Amino acid sequence: MANLKELRNRIGSVKNTRKITAAMSQIASARLKKAQDAVTAAKPYGDRMREVVESLVGGIDEAERAAAHPLLATRPVKRELLLVLTADRGLCGGFNSNIARAVLAWIHQRNRENVQVEVVAIGKKAVAALRAAKIPLRATHDAPNLVTLVELSKVVIADAISAFTAPADQRVDAVRLFFNEFVSVLTQKVKNDVLVPLAPGENAARGREPTYEPSRQAILEHLVALAIEARLQQAMFNSIAAEIAARRVAMDAATDNATDVIADLTLVYNRERQAAITKELMEIIGGAESLKG
Amino acid sequence: MSDTSIKLDILTPMGAIRDGIDVPGVEVPGVLGELGVLPRHEALITAIVPGVLRFREGATAVRMAVGSGFLEVKEAGRVIILCDRAALPEDVDRAAVTKRLAEVKAALEQDKGPIDAGEHRALVDERGWLEAQLRLVAN
Repeated sequence: MANLKELRNRIGSVKNTRKITAAMSQIASARLKKAQDAVTAAKPYGDRMREVVESLVGGIDEAERAAAHPLLATRPVKRELLLVLTADRGLCGGFNSNIARAVLAWIHQRNRENVQVEVVAIGKKAVAALRAAKIPLRATHDAPNLVTLVELSKVVIADAISAFTAPADQRVDAVRLFFNEFVSVLTQKVKNDVLVPLAPGENAARGREPTYEPSRQAILEHLVALAIEARLQQAMFNSIAAEIAARRVAMDAATDNATDVIADLTLVYNRERQAAITKELMEIIGGAESLKG
Repeated sequence: MSDTSIKLDILTPMGAIRDGIDVPGVEVPGVLGELGVLPRHEALITAIVPGVLRFREGATAVRMAVGSGFLEVKEAGRVIILCDRAALPEDVDRAAVTKRLAEVKAALEQDKGPIDAGEHRALVDERGWLEAQLRLVAN
């Protein structure tokens, strides 16, 4: 019977899909540990860098910051550079689409405020989503992995610094980063952080000041770009771990769904099969009865 | 605070290379030249540039190439070195580094943009890092 054969094929194909999603979930589980370790390992560097730069910047009066370092200059925002960080691959739940939605909403709002926006897309999914929305891209990069991360962050930040320090008619007045923060295995949070100008923290200038050699100014000169890179690197580590976690959760859910679908289809299949058998029996019995008569 | 040793942390974005080990001293490539830190050093923050870092760990002398960053001496006899890259001699692929260095130098010759542009700085920084690695494996 055609219907039975269709059902059988359908069950087979869902079973194959379930094999794939279960395998992807297992791969994600295996990679998740490594990515989580990388986030943890990177944290002391990022935290210490931030603390030192914050205490350096905090000691300078707000009015004098722009003179102390060009990347500390707070200007009214007329043009903004957005760095959009996603993954290269899909099948990870709302990981990529959440970022795309947040960025598009942001661009829309900025357009209404008459702020021009430039966009750098990091990750193939960001490139695809922004191209689909007809947003011109200043530059595109592949998503970082644990090997390329440091070099990529340097390339991206070098470009961002050039954009920020360009002549007044071409420069951007702020650089903002959109990325997924790794909150826990089950949760990612879309964040947007201002990378440039570098903002000082609240806990600035406390305790006895250490000696700065050669001078506070010279160290600042040296460290501001490094500190901005460090923030992007932290975000990239977070994004990598969040992507893998999101993929694992999505693939677990897909595996569960496939199991449900298979159970439903098997029920229907058995019922149909039973009905077919009963019908055939009835026909045989009916035939025998009619011969007797 | 110990009078004979300091606690040394070396942190990079890829994780801690050394975490709270006891060393008798450490020599770093400071922005003003080589700089040695011994126990009972006063609190200090200084910038470090790409170069070779040296310290003794037990009986062995350790040398490693480091990128840009800074060195912080805390009063509690603790020294923290933050650098964006670090490599031990066995990590350095001399052929690859030499090749990349030639590329970076060529790019710098071509680069006629302003000297404080982000791209130019990045190239200069990378040149320093590559040269530091070569110096590390030179002898």
